[in-house]
Amino acid sequence: MTRFVLSRLISAIPTLFLVSLAVFTLIRLIPGDPVSLMLGDNVDDAAYAAMSHELGLDRPIAVQFLMWLKGAFQGDLGRSITTGEAVLPLVLQRFAITAQLVLVAVGLATVLAVPLGMLAAWRQNSAFDLGVVVGATALMSIPTFWMGLMLLLFFGLNLGWLPVLGYVSPFEDFGAGALYLVMPVAALVLHECGILVRMSRASTLDVLRLDYVTHARAKGLTEGQVLRRHVFRNAFGPTWTLLGLILGNLLGGVAVVETVFTIPGLGRLIVESIYGRDYPVLQGCLLFVAVTYVVVNLIVDLCYPLFDPRVKTT
Amino acid sequence: MTLGTRIGASALSIMAALAAGEAAAQTLNVQLSSDIRSSRPGVNRDALSDMVALNVAEGLFAIGERGDIVPMLAESWTVSDDGTVYTFALREGRNFHNGAPVTANLVKQSWEAMLAAPDFNCAGFFDGSRGAAVTSIEAPDPQTVVISLAEPDAMFLKHAAQSQCGGMAVTHPDSFTADGDWDHPVGTGPFVFAEWRRGQNVTLEKFADYLPLAGEIDGFAGHKEALVETVNLVVTPDRATAVAALRGGDLDVVPYLSTAEAAELQEEEGFVVKSAPHGGMITLLMQTEDPVLSSTEMRQAVAKSLDIPQLVDVATNGLGTPNASLVPISSIYHSEVHDQGVGYAPGDVPALLDAAGYDGQELVIQTNRRNPINENVAVLAQAMLQMAGINARIEVLEWATQLDRFRSGSFQMSAFNYSNRADPVLAYSAVVDSKTDRGSAIWDEPRAIELVDETLQTPDGEARQALFDQLHELYLEQMPFVMLANNLTVSVNADYVQGYSGWNGFARLWGVSVEK
Repeated sequence: MTRFVLSRLISAIPTLFLVSLAVFTLIRLIPGDPVSLMLGDNVDDAAYAAMSHELGLDRPIAVQFLMWLKGAFQGDLGRSITTGEAVLPLVLQRFAITAQLVLVAVGLATVLAVPLGMLAAWRQNSAFDLGVVVGATALMSIPTFWMGLMLLLFFGLNLGWLPVLGYVSPFEDFGAGALYLVMPVAALVLHECGILVRMSRASTLDVLRLDYVTHARAKGLTEGQVLRRHVFRNAFGPTWTLLGLILGNLLGGVAVVETVFTIPGLGRLIVESIYGRDYPVLQGCLLFVAVTYVVVNLIVDLCYPLFDPRVKTT
Repeated sequence: MTLGTRIGASALSIMAALAAGEAAAQTLNVQLSSDIRSSRPGVNRDALSDMVALNVAEGLFAIGERGDIVPMLAESWTVSDDGTVYTFALREGRNFHNGAPVTANLVKQSWEAMLAAPDFNCAGFFDGSRGAAVTSIEAPDPQTVVISLAEPDAMFLKHAAQSQCGGMAVTHPDSFTADGDWDHPVGTGPFVFAEWRRGQNVTLEKFADYLPLAGEIDGFAGHKEALVETVNLVVTPDRATAVAALRGGDLDVVPYLSTAEAAELQEEEGFVVKSAPHGGMITLLMQTEDPVLSSTEMRQAVAKSLDIPQLVDVATNGLGTPNASLVPISSIYHSEVHDQGVGYAPGDVPALLDAAGYDGQELVIQTNRRNPINENVAVLAQAMLQMAGINARIEVLEWATQLDRFRSGSFQMSAFNYSNRADPVLAYSAVVDSKTDRGSAIWDEPRAIELVDETLQTPDGEARQALFDQLHELYLEQMPFVMLANNLTVSVNADYVQGYSGWNGFARLWGVSVEK
């Protein structure tokens, strides 16, 4: 097990290096730069040159990259060009906010969607199944920003039950924090539920058609026992993989939901750093997202044998 | 604590949060469309950072309602005969937010710290590169500050009062940490900088010991009385969310709104939409070094193809007023001469195109979607140019890309807005310069450069008026770009908010009350 984890982590190093190199290069290929944005229409060539020098942006790109890489190996991702904040603490602080939102949302979506998908498969072609499939397809098709705005208008504006904007950390004030998280979590849960229901239903259908399920029924097991003992564990594997991908994707920032609900998470930080051409912040964020993907997928792989003993991590 | 008690406590907490709206009538909730860059006036700033700084800190003097320079922390000042020594008499009884009295020594320290800051936005105005160098700042007695310049500079006070220079705000040394790093502004303004939760909100609190000046509100000076206990500036990047929050009562003021959204809200009850032009400029730039647009006749043809009143009306949803001149309509220098424009004359266009040797070459108009006015201007201009027989196409760019092209002069035409300028000559300075020296220069006519240089050194008065008039006449003759209108500050507030109005592109939070 330890060897497996170590080999996976070591094999991630070239991936992370390539990601950082690609991000570093690509962001600089986009027209526009932070100095132009900071100086705006007041720009003159002398001021531009002076500020570029001050920020070290007049050095050759290779030198800039090596300096950044050296810092990254030492845990120093630099400082934000726009605010001067240290990047690593900033990324961690924003990630913590996104993680609260995403973990709660994905947890709830899993609890709701997986049983729903299984039940729909079990009652294939019934009215219930049709309803679940139509509902899941509709939820998948609705963009999260629209879902968010609709929730905001209905529950925040029309009913006045929930605050329309702002963010309170649940660690500072659990009640208020929970209240502020209801709508963004709901927007994510509804969207992810659609995807998970479809996957759960499809994989359950595959398993229900296998001979050993027929055999289990022939042995006289109840439908509940068949589903719990023989279908769930085998059908959950593909959903678990999908969950890993969803989690990695969402932990990398849910920019749209964070923007609509004014949550200062990682996604919003990435968007702001792209528009502001804040190179150190963007590089730091994307490297962190890549690390998150690696870690989440590693955890998913490590957990796989729990559902499917045929898969071994050695 | 049992689970039941925890749930009960949480429920109470939720109810308290729901009820907070009722209890917070003394709080003014204002949208910030993005987070501020820093809290230090004039350093690492943008328009929103300036807006917060202007409510917290004050300079010796400030920009008045009509663009004039009026006293603030200084009661009065004199200028030596040679124009190089400014002597300021400080107002009695002014205190910083930490209770310390404003003294000449602290003013001197504050100015020196500002001028020494490596990323001070306006260093060039005071180091001799773009204005006269400040050679010394003295405090001969506790109530007198003397600032000496290397040479006379008619723009010294105007440069210093600009929002982008933080109005050369006077801040107390407590604004810095023990290590000398900037912490937060301890100023003298009507609001105290209480808290900044990055990415979330900035909280300002009423400065209880503030002594408002007598009279009316006058630009960034005058009677600046805080009428609410707290101002909560909430970072709300999404406009739709901000408008929904305004409708829901979570925001009381949205200080920067697109004209389309403002026009929509104007029809609804419960909102007050306000629109005021400022010194910024809505323009259609032309690259005079472009093979097609280098011809004056071609540029005149472009200008005469545009029905500017109609274009401005549609582009600003009826909120803008056309202005043919770089001198704002509200300026004391906007004489009748500046009302003259090139005029809509599509009948003259064919002859001008012939004279320019135009053969249907494509003209590309760069624009962006960040500012709806720019996009509207590009769309309408393209249609009007096509109708007049000029082959125009639109290229929509992301804002940073358009700005980069602007900086390097890499465009044929560009629907571009200039930010607010404190004085008309600064508006001319923004466009007039040698293209060799500055890529973003639009108008590099030597005579125009001479006139701007002369205006920069001419104090307020008739001579200055004559120079502005000459500049406008030369502009109409050469038509290096098309000035369409002054930019707008469009804001909306709930009707229970009294006394709010944006000014010069900034949210003035003094004199504003909430009466829910």
